[in-house]
Amino acid sequence: MRNLTGLLFAGGLGFMLLAIASGLDFGAPPMLVGGAIQAAAPQETGATNIVTSVVLGYRGIDTLGELSILFAAAASAGLVLGRRHTTAGTLTEGGFVLKHGGAMLFPLLLTIGFYIIFHGHLTPGGGFQGGVILAAAFFLPLLARPGARLHHGMLSVIEGFAGSSFILIGLAALSEGEAFLQPMLVQDALGQLVSAGTLPLLYLAVGLKVGAELAGLLSHLAQTESEV
Amino acid sequence: MSDLIVLPLVLPLFGAFLLPIVMRTSISIGAWIGPAILAYGCWILGDQWISGTTLPFSLAIGGFAPPMGINLYIDSLALLFAFAVQLLGLLFWPFKIDQETARRQALMLLLVAASTGLALSGDLFNLYVFYELVAVATFGLIAASGGSAAYASAIRYLILSGIGSVLTLLGIALIYSQTGTLNLAHLAQLAPEQLNNKLGLTAFLTILIGVGVKAELFPVNTWVPEVYATATSRVSAFLAGLVSKLALLIILRLLVLIFHQPEAIQVMLVLGILGVISGELAAWRAKDMRRMLAFSSIGQLGMIFIALAIPEQGGLLAVLALTFHHLLIKSGLFMLADGWGGAIEKLRGAAKRSPLAAAIFVLFSLSLIGMPPLPGFWAKFTLITQLAAQTSPLYLIGLTVFLLATVIEAAYLLRLAALLYGPAAKDTPIDTLAKPAGLSLATASLFGIGLLAAALFIAPVGDLLNHVAGQAANTDLYINTVLAGTGGSQ
Repeated sequence: MRNLTGLLFAGGLGFMLLAIASGLDFGAPPMLVGGAIQAAAPQETGATNIVTSVVLGYRGIDTLGELSILFAAAASAGLVLGRRHTTAGTLTEGGFVLKHGGAMLFPLLLTIGFYIIFHGHLTPGGGFQGGVILAAAFFLPLLARPGARLHHGMLSVIEGFAGSSFILIGLAALSEGEAFLQPMLVQDALGQLVSAGTLPLLYLAVGLKVGAELAGLLSHLAQTESEV
Repeated sequence: MSDLIVLPLVLPLFGAFLLPIVMRTSISIGAWIGPAILAYGCWILGDQWISGTTLPFSLAIGGFAPPMGINLYIDSLALLFAFAVQLLGLLFWPFKIDQETARRQALMLLLVAASTGLALSGDLFNLYVFYELVAVATFGLIAASGGSAAYASAIRYLILSGIGSVLTLLGIALIYSQTGTLNLAHLAQLAPEQLNNKLGLTAFLTILIGVGVKAELFPVNTWVPEVYATATSRVSAFLAGLVSKLALLIILRLLVLIFHQPEAIQVMLVLGILGVISGELAAWRAKDMRRMLAFSSIGQLGMIFIALAIPEQGGLLAVLALTFHHLLIKSGLFMLADGWGGAIEKLRGAAKRSPLAAAIFVLFSLSLIGMPPLPGFWAKFTLITQLAAQTSPLYLIGLTVFLLATVIEAAYLLRLAALLYGPAAKDTPIDTLAKPAGLSLATASLFGIGLLAAALFIAPVGDLLNHVAGQAANTDLYINTVLAGTGGSQ
């Protein structure tokens, strides 16, 4: 009975979507707000990457929400995983190539991660993408040496300060009499590394937070798994 | 001054991010951060109300004028809900100190921030972001309630909520693909031409089902009894009392501003009626106080959906009256259930053990049934007069079901009251009977006092709600407030 209702629902939903999709005008999206933002973004925010100006400028509070969702997910996972006792990892060490390859990749990944974060307002990329690469840099040594530990205290300090500095930058604009999260210090230097005012700072905060959060979560998972 | 309205939304996030660090150094300092932030939020929002800032007003985040940027829309309804969020966050604060305190309190702060966002935001996608944040924070809080039953119910809730989120996102995508904007005011302006069609109706239905997961809408409410029975009472009270109402607020805004199709309203009316029937009948058969309250809450929200199907100021007044009444009552009842969870039979004679708790329970029950002069009577009376004034036969079915539901409600609530005041079972001494703990009982008493105060000042409260409903029902006011000075639909 339950399967039947599920099937009916899925079938109905599929039929409805097909019927709707046949009437949609693909390839000609209405660029009402999008067009206006494309025209105004470089002047208003100073970022050549328009995606960045949307993510951190026009829809900055959405990004703050996304950061909070990630934080909530990590905290919830920590609550669930934290119940088991973590003992020292018992998995065998990685081989020579894995260990030294991981060690050599660490600085490279770090460089790329920060490069992508700092150039978020110029080229495709930004805090979320760079942050994931940073997390990978810290997680790789853990894969190579299952016994190794990440310093969780340090990670949560980085994460907390990065998250709160995102909000502090927004509040700084508020205290200057502007709106919350309003881009400030927008210079007239489109395309330069030092341009786009506070947006790169916001992206740095996003990158550090995402990186610390994911690294902490991954090592948490690895530790919980290693004892099974 | 009005710029500060963003603080009740942002400061809890700030606190949540910093809490794990502070807790690492000093738990006693950390334990004060959350309550202090929420108290400050109450003060700011209360101050907005008292200082008589001209409502409604719109606040552009980041200084980008809507529809290009995201705006907060603050009318009396949004302000009232935001204030309720901060206040209830404070009342249901998880004070318990153990090794997971930092995480639990951070999640609670996130939940409060996201709920405030749901009340204030004027952008469809921004609402979705906060809706997701509410969902994720809730999963954690339910799972943290402990026990394998809480895990199982959290997983089920997670799956259903995930389906709901996907459907909501689908609806938002359909709307965006048709109009090219996400700002509610801008959408309200474009809706009569661009969304008054099958696509608009589909978008509304997917959003209704998606958001309905949190609003306990029939048939996507199967998570309700399990979660409320397994989560701690404070979490259940916050979810049943407030979060469900915020999901309802989203649907209310969408109905008033964007979707005016008669089909949309009919679907909601039918789902509301089914919710009332299924919820009240299940509550009647429930053998556990928390489950009974959970099913009764499904029934009550069904009644609010019936009221929502009357798209005028009168209908909105009924919605608001029922909503705030249910908020007071259900929060209070869940606090009582904190000590009285488990089988109803075990509560036989519990009134002797805790007379105050039993008296509060009777007070809440009478108001829920609709006994004059308690506020519940006026809330239900408003809905009955509104329903009776409608001509379509579907509304009359709604009225019939509503009256029958009241009878069933009276049956199961008074049955429990009779058990409480009845003689205790012979083999159990009175001292061993369950009793609500001091803090929960105090919180429940606060809600009882609030209810009695509302009963005493019913005329000004009614006028206030009427004013709020009038402001919320005014689509042109919303559009003009948000888009004033930005050249309208460019």
